[in-house]
Amino acid sequence: MQNALFHWSFAIPEIWVLAMACVVLLVDVFVGERQRDVAYVLSIFTLLAAMALTWSQMGQTGFAFFGQFHLDPFTSIASFFVELLSLLVLSYSRKYLLRRSLYRGEVFVLLLFALLGALILISGANLLILYLGLELLALSQYALVAFQRGNLRATEAGLKYFILGALASALLLYGMSLLYGLTGTLDLHQIAIALVNVGSANYLLMLAVVFLVAGIAFKFGAAPFHMWLPDAYQGAPTPVTLFMSSVPKIAIFALFLRILVDGGYGSIEIWRQLFVALVVVSLVIGNVVAIAQTNLKRMLAYSTVGNMGFLALGIVAGTQNGLASAFFYAVVYAFMATAAFGLIVYLSREGFEAEEISDLRGLVRTRPWAAFLLLIIMFSLAGVPPTIGFYAKLAVFQALIEAHFIWLAVFGVLMAVVGAFYYLRVLKVALFDAPAEDLAYGADDPLAASVLTVNSLALLILGIVPGALVAFCYHALQGVL
Amino acid sequence: MMLTTTILFYVFSAILLVSALLVITARNPVYSALYLVLAFFNAAALFLLLGAEFLGLILILVYVGAVMVLFLFVVMMLDINLERLKEGFLRYLPLGLAIAIVGVLEMVAVFWTAPIGRVPAPGPIPANADNTRALGELLYTHYLYPFEIAAVILLVAIIAAIALTLRRRPDTKSQAVGKQVAVAVRERLRMVDLRGPKP
Amino acid sequence: MIPLSHWLILGALLFSIGVVGIFLNRKNVIILLMAIEILLLAVNINFVAFSRYLGNLQGQIFVFFVLTVAAAEAAIGLAILVVYFRNRRSINVEDIDDLRG
Repeated sequence: MQNALFHWSFAIPEIWVLAMACVVLLVDVFVGERQRDVAYVLSIFTLLAAMALTWSQMGQTGFAFFGQFHLDPFTSIASFFVELLSLLVLSYSRKYLLRRSLYRGEVFVLLLFALLGALILISGANLLILYLGLELLALSQYALVAFQRGNLRATEAGLKYFILGALASALLLYGMSLLYGLTGTLDLHQIAIALVNVGSANYLLMLAVVFLVAGIAFKFGAAPFHMWLPDAYQGAPTPVTLFMSSVPKIAIFALFLRILVDGGYGSIEIWRQLFVALVVVSLVIGNVVAIAQTNLKRMLAYSTVGNMGFLALGIVAGTQNGLASAFFYAVVYAFMATAAFGLIVYLSREGFEAEEISDLRGLVRTRPWAAFLLLIIMFSLAGVPPTIGFYAKLAVFQALIEAHFIWLAVFGVLMAVVGAFYYLRVLKVALFDAPAEDLAYGADDPLAASVLTVNSLALLILGIVPGALVAFCYHALQGVL
Repeated sequence: MMLTTTILFYVFSAILLVSALLVITARNPVYSALYLVLAFFNAAALFLLLGAEFLGLILILVYVGAVMVLFLFVVMMLDINLERLKEGFLRYLPLGLAIAIVGVLEMVAVFWTAPIGRVPAPGPIPANADNTRALGELLYTHYLYPFEIAAVILLVAIIAAIALTLRRRPDTKSQAVGKQVAVAVRERLRMVDLRGPKP
Repeated sequence: MIPLSHWLILGALLFSIGVVGIFLNRKNVIILLMAIEILLLAVNINFVAFSRYLGNLQGQIFVFFVLTVAAAEAAIGLAILVVYFRNRRSINVEDIDDLRG
């Protein structure tokens, strides 16, 4: 391992985001209420440049900061996706934030810091770095959820999210402390080496893995550790929900990959069993409880729980292919969730959140184009071909069957069918119910509309020609085992 | 010497556990906060027994000195109705205790039997050991990267706390020091000719 | 001399007290925040004990950062709590149930 401090250039995207977050913070102090757009445009520029910087690093590999920073294909590709997703979040939400006097520099700054936390997490090669990246991501998100501070629901959601998030961090930390005690190091590669001698029949290792998996499941929102998720999703301002449902999913997958694969692959027999339990509970709770929801944001929150179950199917497979399919699923899910919450943001206006399912009644008459996009999004979430959501589920099931988990794959398919029901119910309301007279959606917002169109059509087009995206995601996990 | 350390360990641990229990059962949040302070003092003493002087002192300075004061400040600012707080406490108590006891027994069993639990205790700390210097040398060289991230986390905490709680209330009266300093003589002092018309 | 397992059991007991505290004090958000501090203290004891018995300083370094982050976490948590209380316009800590679970 080349433990040189001089490889700091590997971290240029992170350094850029940090520097620009500080610049946005300072600029925002000096520009007045009228020129808030300066901070907004600067944030957009930051994200675009970060994507370019990350892209330019594609193909480089190595360690920096004394082996604490790992640049590999996964780092570059996952970083690129979280930057792109953050860009989508910002572009969707300009009007929404403006209408609710949330269009403030602190929101952009906290968003950039949350992104920075995700980037640090993705490239972490040391337990300490993973913890700090996770906390940076989480602390920024707690503040963002409660940012609409005059809103009781938002602050209540922030409080719940904070308490359960802090509990999850503590569980994870406890697991990390045991892992450190067992191996005598914080460095994930040295942990992997040390675990070879420990063997997976060690009770202390089992205890450590139980705590680590519980912490990761909490952060993923997999059942039975999902109780924070519906409240946080529903209570938070929709652009924040948009962020929470996309960027952290990829970041937490990275957390899993770094700790339990890079470091703890020796304990796969332990964590695989735990993930089987998480998969079963998540698929049942996510897909069945979602049917009873009348609030669209809450329904999508339960849909997240279910989708984390599908993602964990790939983790259970545990093979190279399985992990790659899980990453592919995380990426696809993040873009589907962005589109779904983006649509809610797009339809909302002042004093009307468009977040009840009944708010979509007769959407096809009032906003035919939006209804068409809703059709694509819901089909993709339900896994109907030829959308990309179908390929994501297919990849996971294939990997699972290759790894001889036939019954789990059958169970997953069954749950996917159950899940399709509530997505189609939303479509029924939007396409066949009569529109209510009192409903008026937000004034047209060209930026959000075009982003939504591109985002949703991508779900369809990538579903017709999935090859490039699949290859890109699978390349990220090349050589991880 | 060995015996003293052992006795101290059990005394401090016992007080730590009891005060932690009192934190979660006390009726009044102010008491809880004070018990937590006691718990931190004992934990600091345990850190000293383990030769982690710097962390022991930091625990007292940062935790007792800053974090707990913040807690007390909030507890007292939000004048809380004590009667309502304990509702549901007894309802969840049996289940909570049952789960806790099972969990604790499992963990204790693991730690008791794990080979690592019987690692021989390291020798006494040399008299000239300098824990603070050793930590500092690591922190500013090998752990520079996490150090920078920690700085960012503190910055986020500052931004978040201010953005969430700062209110500009036009009706409050406050001292504008800048204006006071910048004041000129003629704004405060007016020369009036008090001589009346000549007799 | 104290065996390492005693330190770990101390950590485990403290951690359990913290978890039970979160479980029991659902109405009292301030105690919840304090219970989280207890959890982190338990983790810190584990790290420092391992650090001493393994004879490397990495555990102590980790604790240094946990303390830093915990301070930041407490600041944000209390800020959210204060904002929440202002919205409630009441001094009671009601059960948080505007969002049904």
